[in-house]
Amino acid sequence: MNLRRLLRPARSRLLFLILVVPAILVACNEGDPQSTFGTSGPIADAQADLFIFIFWIAVVVFVLVEGALIYSIIRFRRRGSDDSLPVQVHGNTKLEVIWTIVPVFILVAIAIPTIQVIYEQREPPTDQGPVLEIKVRAHQWWWEIEYPGEDVVTANEIRIPVGQWVNFTLNSDDVIHSFWVPKLAGKVDIIPGDVRQLAMRADEVGVFFGQCAEFCGEAHAKMRFRVRAEEPEQFQDWLDSMRRPPVELVSADAIAGQTLFAQNCSSCHSTNTWQGPNARNERTRLAGLRLAFLDNFKDTVVIPAPNLTHFATRDTLGAGLIELNETNLTRWITDPDDVKEGNRMKDLATPYRNNSLTSDDVRQLTAYLLELKPVAADAVIEPDSGGGGGGSATERGAATFAANCSGCHSTGDNRVVGPGLAGLSSRGDDAYIRESIVEPNAVVVDGFPASVMPPGFGATLSADELNDLIAYLKSL
Amino acid sequence: MTTIAFPKLISRPTSYTGLWSWIATVDHKRIGTLYGITAFLYFLIAGVEALIIRGQLREAESDLISPEIFNQLFTMHGTTMIFLVVMPMSAAFFNWMIPLMIGARDVAFPRLNAFSYWAFLFGSIFLNLSFFLGGAPNAGWFGYANLTGSVYSPGDGLTFWALGLLILGVASLAASFNFVVTILNMRAPGMSLMRMPVFVWMSLVTSILMALAMPVIAVALIQLSLDRVLDTNFFNPAAGGDPVLWQHLFWLFGHPEVYILILPAMGIVSEVLPVYSRKPLFGYAAVVFAGAVIGFMGWFVWSHHMFTVGLGPAANAAFTISTMLIAVPTGVKIFNWMGTIWGGKLRLDTAMLFSLGFIAMFIIGGLSGITHASPPTDAQQQDTYYIVAHFHYVLFGGSILGLFAGGYYWWPKMTGKRLGETLGKWHFWVMLVGFNVTFGPMHWLGLNGMPRRISTYAEGMGWETSNAIATFGAMLIAVSVLIFIINIIRTIASKQEAEDDPWDGRTLEWSIPSPPPAYNFARIPQVKSLDDFWYQKHPELLHDERGEEPESDEPVVEETHGGGSIHLPGMSYYPIVVALGMVIGIVGFMEIRVDIPGTDLVFPWLSAVGIAIGMYGVMGWSLEPVSEEGGGH
Repeated sequence: MNLRRLLRPARSRLLFLILVVPAILVACNEGDPQSTFGTSGPIADAQADLFIFIFWIAVVVFVLVEGALIYSIIRFRRRGSDDSLPVQVHGNTKLEVIWTIVPVFILVAIAIPTIQVIYEQREPPTDQGPVLEIKVRAHQWWWEIEYPGEDVVTANEIRIPVGQWVNFTLNSDDVIHSFWVPKLAGKVDIIPGDVRQLAMRADEVGVFFGQCAEFCGEAHAKMRFRVRAEEPEQFQDWLDSMRRPPVELVSADAIAGQTLFAQNCSSCHSTNTWQGPNARNERTRLAGLRLAFLDNFKDTVVIPAPNLTHFATRDTLGAGLIELNETNLTRWITDPDDVKEGNRMKDLATPYRNNSLTSDDVRQLTAYLLELKPVAADAVIEPDSGGGGGGSATERGAATFAANCSGCHSTGDNRVVGPGLAGLSSRGDDAYIRESIVEPNAVVVDGFPASVMPPGFGATLSADELNDLIAYLKSL
Repeated sequence: MTTIAFPKLISRPTSYTGLWSWIATVDHKRIGTLYGITAFLYFLIAGVEALIIRGQLREAESDLISPEIFNQLFTMHGTTMIFLVVMPMSAAFFNWMIPLMIGARDVAFPRLNAFSYWAFLFGSIFLNLSFFLGGAPNAGWFGYANLTGSVYSPGDGLTFWALGLLILGVASLAASFNFVVTILNMRAPGMSLMRMPVFVWMSLVTSILMALAMPVIAVALIQLSLDRVLDTNFFNPAAGGDPVLWQHLFWLFGHPEVYILILPAMGIVSEVLPVYSRKPLFGYAAVVFAGAVIGFMGWFVWSHHMFTVGLGPAANAAFTISTMLIAVPTGVKIFNWMGTIWGGKLRLDTAMLFSLGFIAMFIIGGLSGITHASPPTDAQQQDTYYIVAHFHYVLFGGSILGLFAGGYYWWPKMTGKRLGETLGKWHFWVMLVGFNVTFGPMHWLGLNGMPRRISTYAEGMGWETSNAIATFGAMLIAVSVLIFIINIIRTIASKQEAEDDPWDGRTLEWSIPSPPPAYNFARIPQVKSLDDFWYQKHPELLHDERGEEPESDEPVVEETHGGGSIHLPGMSYYPIVVALGMVIGIVGFMEIRVDIPGTDLVFPWLSAVGIAIGMYGVMGWSLEPVSEEGGGH
């Protein structure tokens, strides 16, 4: 009959809610890496628990109200052509008061734990050991990660020790983003020009997926990241390794790739923050780049790009986008837009702009990047004063340049933060170059702001390094 | 008497048929029809946009469209559905039904009414032209600064968006003033506020909300336009501006806007349920009061859109409480609707089915809303598909189903023909199933971590199945809309003639012919009670149920025009001229400008042209007599 037919979908919907939904909620597995259930830390746990609490209240209300609705539709539907009028009821004050008051009690029941959790999650607890500070700076469309106490800078992959509270300090280089690792904590928006904090703790070892949750422009969908929670010793090993020098390059391709990288990529990507103090310079350098970007948006061609120090130790490429391996890296370098439309590499990097990138170049750059990993802990030789000790003065100078100068100066003729340095020897003699390094403000090239290059910069270099650097610069 | 010399370039049309009679019309019914047709065409456009979006998301790593196109489509889908579909479709019903339900012959300001429509039409065309002029807006319907600044969105798309919404805002403002004045001043004798139909009440609340909310977004849009065109720094953090300021302004408009979208549908449902239950609305006063309270409290909940912005625990806790409180009057409405059908004799015609579907779906949307009224759970749900599911249950399951209910309910009054019931029921059931198949799985997608507004997603996230189901559901919705279109065509082609009162209605619009004559009421009715027309048909009930003595046995009808001819406002071209001038004036601000030598100023010459046209129109408008001698009926 009609009644049965009407009841059937209703009954199955209830069954779905009562049986299937909780089953789905429980069945969280590897296949759901961004699920807000099956959480792995106290913040996300509390949020999930609160949701489940409200959810069941909602289910009860849903069943009662929808049930009453469906019941009254079936019960009071007109039968045949009955044209008589039903009893004309205009209202019932007592009933109306009841169904105004009862929801208030339900809502109070939801509001109390809600407000408790809001205040509990305001900041990390102070009585549960030291809090690891991590700075995250969001960019269109990648994440810059800094461990401020450790002079370590990396990108898109965050490592944290399991069981320890971590406090993320979040800010943005450009537009609004939102930092979200569902398994560990709900999101916090990142407002440019302002700072947000988000504390969380991972209680399980594992890799947790994260993703920008606030629409931020063309490649918003591909602004992802990973949080890897490790045993504290393992985490400490990684942190230490980020301060060790890279292994010596082996393959001829990698060695050629290093030169290509220094010439074409190093103005935006650094690979050398393992050198400690440079990690601090990294901040200054990025700040300088950002200023250049904001001041001269229309003609500047440089914006900060992910730090690639010890790149080969990472799992992913392109902001948590694809697995890091030779095939993917080749694909990325060959045509970054093919992998991640909207990214700026093709607009900014000279080889793409000049359409001069050859497959040899791609192979060599890939080889170089895949060899960028730290030496083993027991292999560290007493660090000498600068880069590698061997080679000619020009080669040593090139290493010094890569480590100290390439953030702001290209070796071509394009402007970065500072002027491009191609053909420098034609602009002045040794003494001019030396003066420009030691006393940067003595002569300031037209169109460049004074005092961006730190005064007394030369004092950070040894006399040998300075001589090598000059030899190298003259060779450009 | 008038001796002012004014160049009368265009004289008012005299024929009541043909294209020019529509362009110059000031008849609220014709303007309502124009609103309705335009809004329905935009409904189809926004639907196609949605189908492309669903096509792109049907599987992981799809490359049906580029991210840039995807961003334009979701921006325009939202903007179109809100500003070009639900609002104007509500305006269509306001225009058609407010005068008929309050016993008036037109709205208070008929030419302003025409101006509203033309401004809306031109603004909407301007907004959509962006697709062909360098790319549509691509920063979401919410247009969060500072992504919308010229640094991060260099093209013209967002200028189109900001200026287009400004134009639409002017149209909405003019309409809202018109409706408020009409409802307050033009009611038939005896129709006190508490004898007004609930739909008119909700129209009043909606119009007041529009009148107050539109200026807020206008301020924000003007600031944004200045940031974009003249390089000001309202929202530029690099120069000390504040992108969060935009969010406050936007949601201070945006949350009342939600009620602007839903209250008209609630009004429609409150009309349909009693008629098809053959019972009075349960707790009329409570339903009216709940609607007014929702409209009022809607101003104090905006920051629940911003729980993850980091406003701090005190703000989040306060807005949690205000948000939960607003659930109370909403619940009152739902319970009173259920009280209305309880004990009734329900005629399950299509209009009734859509109204019941509205209640059933709105309950789901309301309950999912409670789950993210709690900031800690919202921290996981904000900006995910869970939110997309929630507001589609409220705005599609709510507003759209409610508007369809109104369409089926009033179609015979508006056109003189009933929409087909069989196709109508197919339309309802396919749409209801398609809707749930589309948006139901999105709850799970959001809880499973899928963010909104992403143009693609990776394999292995556990999102493929739900997305495929949702895309299938979207196609079902498309089928249901096709059924509706077929139903319209078949109805128009049919030779049937609907009765004046096909549903045994309760309100005044059913007391006049279908379709109504231009003057609506040959005699202005004298109103003695709520649902006056019903009690004229059932005088015994007035005595039995209300415990009130009818004032007399026969309804008293009063001649308001001394038995002479009825004067209707004459047609006028000036509203469309003023609308055109205003739109050109605002559009001219965009880009076309001339440097003034020796200064930093630029001269937007197109704006000057627009202002000149607008001024001409305003002059002509103000000097034009309301009706020609011998005009009207």
